[in-house]
Amino acid sequence: MKPANLVMQRVLRGGSAAIAAMIIGGASLSFAQESVAVRAAIVTGGLPVDDPNAAAWSTAAPATFPMSPQVHWPNRIQEVTVQDVIVRAMHDGKQVVFLLEYRDPTQDPDDGAALEFMVGDKKAHFAHGQPMLQVEGGPVNIWFWKHKTDQAVDMTAKGFGTLKAQEHQDVKAKGAYANGTWKIVFTRNLSTDHPDEDVQITPGNFINVAFAVWDGRKDGAGELVEKGSQKAVSSWWYFRADAPPDYSGYMYAAIAVTLALGFQFVLIRKLKKGQ
Amino acid sequence: MGALGKPIILMVAMYVFLKFVLPYIPGSAPLPSSLIVLYLLLTAAGIVIFQTLSGESKDAFWGPMQRFLTGENIGGMQAIRYAVLILFPLLVGWQTYGSTAASDVPPSESRTIHPAPPGEYTGLSNPVQKTPENIMQGKGFYAAFCSPCHGANFDGKGPAARGFNPPPANFADPTTIAMLQESYLFWRIKKGGVGLPIEGAPWKSAMPRWEAELPDEWIWKIILGEYDGAHQSPRTWE
Repeated sequence: MKPANLVMQRVLRGGSAAIAAMIIGGASLSFAQESVAVRAAIVTGGLPVDDPNAAAWSTAAPATFPMSPQVHWPNRIQEVTVQDVIVRAMHDGKQVVFLLEYRDPTQDPDDGAALEFMVGDKKAHFAHGQPMLQVEGGPVNIWFWKHKTDQAVDMTAKGFGTLKAQEHQDVKAKGAYANGTWKIVFTRNLSTDHPDEDVQITPGNFINVAFAVWDGRKDGAGELVEKGSQKAVSSWWYFRADAPPDYSGYMYAAIAVTLALGFQFVLIRKLKKGQ
Repeated sequence: MGALGKPIILMVAMYVFLKFVLPYIPGSAPLPSSLIVLYLLLTAAGIVIFQTLSGESKDAFWGPMQRFLTGENIGGMQAIRYAVLILFPLLVGWQTYGSTAASDVPPSESRTIHPAPPGEYTGLSNPVQKTPENIMQGKGFYAAFCSPCHGANFDGKGPAARGFNPPPANFADPTTIAMLQESYLFWRIKKGGVGLPIEGAPWKSAMPRWEAELPDEWIWKIILGEYDGAHQSPRTWE
C-alpha cells in the first residue's frame, strides 16, 4: 500500500471515531431553555429562619426579577418605586426559607411584600388567579408581609375580590431594613395539611412563583401612593427546591460501559474466529 | 480512497447538512438531536445495505474494519484501535448518564403568540371610518390606555413593560399587527390576556380585558391609531 493511501486511511478511520463521538455527544447537547428560576439548595446546618442578615444567605444563589407597575386591572398604577427584586431560597427537607431583597429609599409602616404561588395542577393567572375565559384556572397562595406588623399572612385567592386570610396560618416572616434596602425572610414547611389552599413544595419539581411589593410612602396630601392593587408586580417565574442527590445515574452509566465493553469483546472474538 | 472512505464522507456530509445547513433554509428550524441521530442511523443502514449487495463490495467494506479491529502488524493504527476501544464504552456511559440525570432546566413553555381567535372575532370589519379625526382620537386613547406598556413609539417598550413576561407586543415589528386583521386586534384588546386559549398561556399575560372599561367604538378607534402610529397596514385577504 502506498504511504499516501495509508495516511488517508488513518485519517478516515480516525474520523469515523470522531463522528461517533459527535453523534453520541450531540444527542445530549440540547439547547437550554432561557428561563429564570429561584433555586433552593439543601442545607444541613440549620436554616436562617427569622434572620434576613444571616451569613448563610451569602451561600444561596440570587435570582433577580424585574418588576412592573400593576396595570392589569383597576385600580392601576403607572409608576412604582421598586424596579427589581432579588430572591434567594434554601431548604432542609422540612422547611423552606425565602429571602426577598429590594431597594426602597424610605422605610414606611405601610411597606409590604408578597410571594404568590400556583396551588395544585391547574394554571392560575398571576393576577390573583383571576378567571380565564377559555382555560379553567386554579387558586393562588399568597404569603403577604407588612412592615407594620412584621408578620406574614397566609392568604388564598381565586379571582378579584376573593383574597382572604386562611384559617390556618402556616407562614412566618421577618423584615430588616438597612441602607435603603429591605430584606424579608419568609418561612414555611415544604408541605402542609391543606393542599387545596397552600402550595405544596416537592423537592425536585419546578413550581410557579410571582412577587409583589408595595412602597408605603405617602404623597404630598398624605395619601398612600402604593396600596391594594396599586403595587409593583412580577410575572410568573419558577421556583425549585433541590432534590436530595441521586447517584443512580452513575450506576446506569457503569452498566452501560460494561455492556459496551462486553459487546466489543464478543465482536472482536467473533471477527478473530472468522479469519 | 477505499471502500470505507466514501461512507465516512457521506456520513459527515449528512451530519453537517442536518445540523448546520438545514436550519438556515427559509421556513425550516433546527432539528432535535434525536431526529438527527435517527436520520444518521438510517443513512448508515442504507450504506451498509448498499455496500453488502455483492460479495466483492462486502469484502471491500468490512475488510478494512476487520483489519482495524483484529489485524496484526498494523503499526500506528494499533494506538488508534486501543483509543477507539476505550473511548467507545466511555461515550456510551457518558450518554447514558446524561439521559438519566435529572434536568436542571425549568419546564419549557412553548407559547403561541397569535393563537386562533374565537369564530365570532374573525372577519369583522372596522365600523369606524378611517378619517384623520378618528385616527387622532384613537392615538389619544392609545396614549392613555396602551402606551404605558406598548410604548409611545408603538415598539412595546413602554415604562411599565419591563417586568412582564411575555413582553408587550411591538406593533412596529412586521410580524405582529401587520400580519393580523383588524378583527383579530379587536378580540385581543376586548378580551385581553385572560381571553387567550391555552396555547397562548393566558395565565402569564398582563394584557387587560378592556371590554370591562372601554366601549367597542373606542377599541376600533385605538386599532386605527395603532396601525397609523406603527406605520403598518392590517392584513387583508385580497
